[in-house]
Amino acid sequence: MLRLRFHGRGGQGAKVASRVLGTAAFLDGYNAQDFPLYGAERRGAPITAFTRISRDDIMERGLVSDPDIVIVMDETLLLDPQAMPLSGLKIGGIVFVNTPLSPLETKEEYGIEDHVVTLDITKVSLDMIGKPVLSSLAAGVASRIAGIGEGALKGALEKELSGIISDREILGKNTDAALHCYNALVPVQVKTAETIRERDNVITLPFEIARVSSPAINATGNTPLRKTGNWRVFRPVWNYDICTRCMTCVARCPEGCIRLNEDGYPYADYDNCKGCLVCAEECPVKAITKVREIHSRSEEGDR
Amino acid sequence: MGKEMLTGNGAAAWGVRLAEVDYIPAYPITPQTEIIETIAKWISDGSMDASFVTMDSEHSMITAAGAASATGARTFTTTSSQGLLYGFEMIYTVAGWRVPLVMVNVSRGLSSPITLGPDHNDILAVRDSGFLQIHCETCQEVLDSVLMAYRLAEDERVLLPVMVNMDGFYLSFTREAVEIPDMEKVRSFLPEYRPEHAFFRAAKPMAQGVAVLGGDFYSYFKYQMHLASQNALEVYKEVCDDFEKKFGRKYGTIDEYMLEDAEYVLVMINSFSTLGKAAVKRARENGIKVGLLRPRFLRPFPESEIKNALEGKKAVAVIDQNISVGKGGIIYSEMAGCLYNEVDKPLLLSFIGGLGGKNISQEEFEFIFEKMISASDTGIVEPPSLLYTESELEGMTKLKEIAGKE
Repeated sequence: MLRLRFHGRGGQGAKVASRVLGTAAFLDGYNAQDFPLYGAERRGAPITAFTRISRDDIMERGLVSDPDIVIVMDETLLLDPQAMPLSGLKIGGIVFVNTPLSPLETKEEYGIEDHVVTLDITKVSLDMIGKPVLSSLAAGVASRIAGIGEGALKGALEKELSGIISDREILGKNTDAALHCYNALVPVQVKTAETIRERDNVITLPFEIARVSSPAINATGNTPLRKTGNWRVFRPVWNYDICTRCMTCVARCPEGCIRLNEDGYPYADYDNCKGCLVCAEECPVKAITKVREIHSRSEEGDR
Repeated sequence: MGKEMLTGNGAAAWGVRLAEVDYIPAYPITPQTEIIETIAKWISDGSMDASFVTMDSEHSMITAAGAASATGARTFTTTSSQGLLYGFEMIYTVAGWRVPLVMVNVSRGLSSPITLGPDHNDILAVRDSGFLQIHCETCQEVLDSVLMAYRLAEDERVLLPVMVNMDGFYLSFTREAVEIPDMEKVRSFLPEYRPEHAFFRAAKPMAQGVAVLGGDFYSYFKYQMHLASQNALEVYKEVCDDFEKKFGRKYGTIDEYMLEDAEYVLVMINSFSTLGKAAVKRARENGIKVGLLRPRFLRPFPESEIKNALEGKKAVAVIDQNISVGKGGIIYSEMAGCLYNEVDKPLLLSFIGGLGGKNISQEEFEFIFEKMISASDTGIVEPPSLLYTESELEGMTKLKEIAGKE
């Protein structure tokens, strides 16, 4: 059985990717199961979804804790202590990372020892669809790595996306982009060994007094410590030659992330700006441009 | 119609569509929402012909469903967890009306603390109401059970509402290949509902669920519900036979897995039974003769089938995905009650596992098998215990540190 785990951010399409792959495997004659884990999440937050593919009956349910293949749809998740995309990956497993870096650079950058496959699917998506929506592209990549046939992938894209996308043209662009990603990867052989896990002991749960054991939080809030700046695909960059200091961007920012410097010019708190670009939309003189995060990052080195 | 990849929620919606339900009062709650969304979409695009009303709460929703059902309309509604509890008062009420309403509950742990993960305290809270309860392991079973539930509920020998239960997330959001039965075939299995029982009509005034100010009258009506519920065991057999003839899938009041020659037995309900079956399969490879029994019905409780299936077994371990605080596992108590008067009864062990959707690991199943074997070797049964591991407690300790508890 192949077990895949998709890591994305809310809104990127991890759930749909896991479904397209599930349907593709089903159309290719396998038993398949897919399952997203969400409920209390929101756009931008780390999300996981899973697909199981097998010739035999699938006698598992729920989340995949020991994947053969991990699909990382947003490379910033590799550094997120909450997401931990590589946890439980089997020896001989494959990590796909959506990044402009080469596999070797990615391995060095993030200290990954497993087999790494990379492709900048955000770029493909921007070029071919015009938006950073990654569901079908991630499904294309995952189908290739899982060894699913191209015809089954096509059928699955049609089946799954036609329920969500009514515009035939956008549907076609999604399919083209997915197949482009599928064919951009060299086929790989997934050869994982069953992980030898340390046996976890079943214990008797001790009694603890209510002060310790009731579900209340005594510590003060820690949300200021969680930077949401790594959710961005694009960042807003100001051109102070055009900016009139009208403060429209400051007023419109839904996150309160834009402040004024000593000269009265706006600047963003990139640690927390989620990159919604309402500021760029609202700027009356178009002094704000959107810059693909990955490029601005390498320039400023502020990752 | 062939096979499709469907979630448990999608399968439930398909069951409702194929049953040609007339009326659906709705109030969404995670993880049930997708059932309502799917049905609402079908009604709006014309692929399903039914009246759909969004209500202000589950209390109103169940009242509306019961009232509509009392007019002779085929009625469906669905909820989960806290929603079921909010409608609890009306659960008892509509059951007493003796209306053939079908309701899907998507199990989710009860507050507090708040969780979205599944366990069965929600559905078991309404165990004694008069609703029949069918519990499903797979998405296919959800679809099929909705169809069979209407046959059962509408039978004059039963005429009680039915709840079909599935686990949140592990079924509700999980997609598997599901055979969608052909509409014409479904019609031959489940024809249009033509009530013989008294039902509301504008031209025919009547009162439903009237006041009976006296224990002798009240006892009569309550016990009639009990007898009707027990009738459901026989009726269900007929329904299952007919279902198998028409659709080829075999169901019964209990599901037996590698049980025939087993010496040790796991008892589980719902979707985690799949994990139990995988554990049984692994243990068999290691030469341990285990099997699994899954009661599909909890109300009525299929006592005689369970007794037969467990005859001559050495030890039985019940894994309860629920907790009756101050007592322990609810199904363990049910099983103990069922087996108490048997002469040659197996040893009965109790484990609480999977609360709030906590995984039941390979180690935990192995732990249970070891306990069953040592109990049957020594004759000593250890007290009930929670399935919890060292690393889970470590995680809990870390979380408490973050929460400022020490």
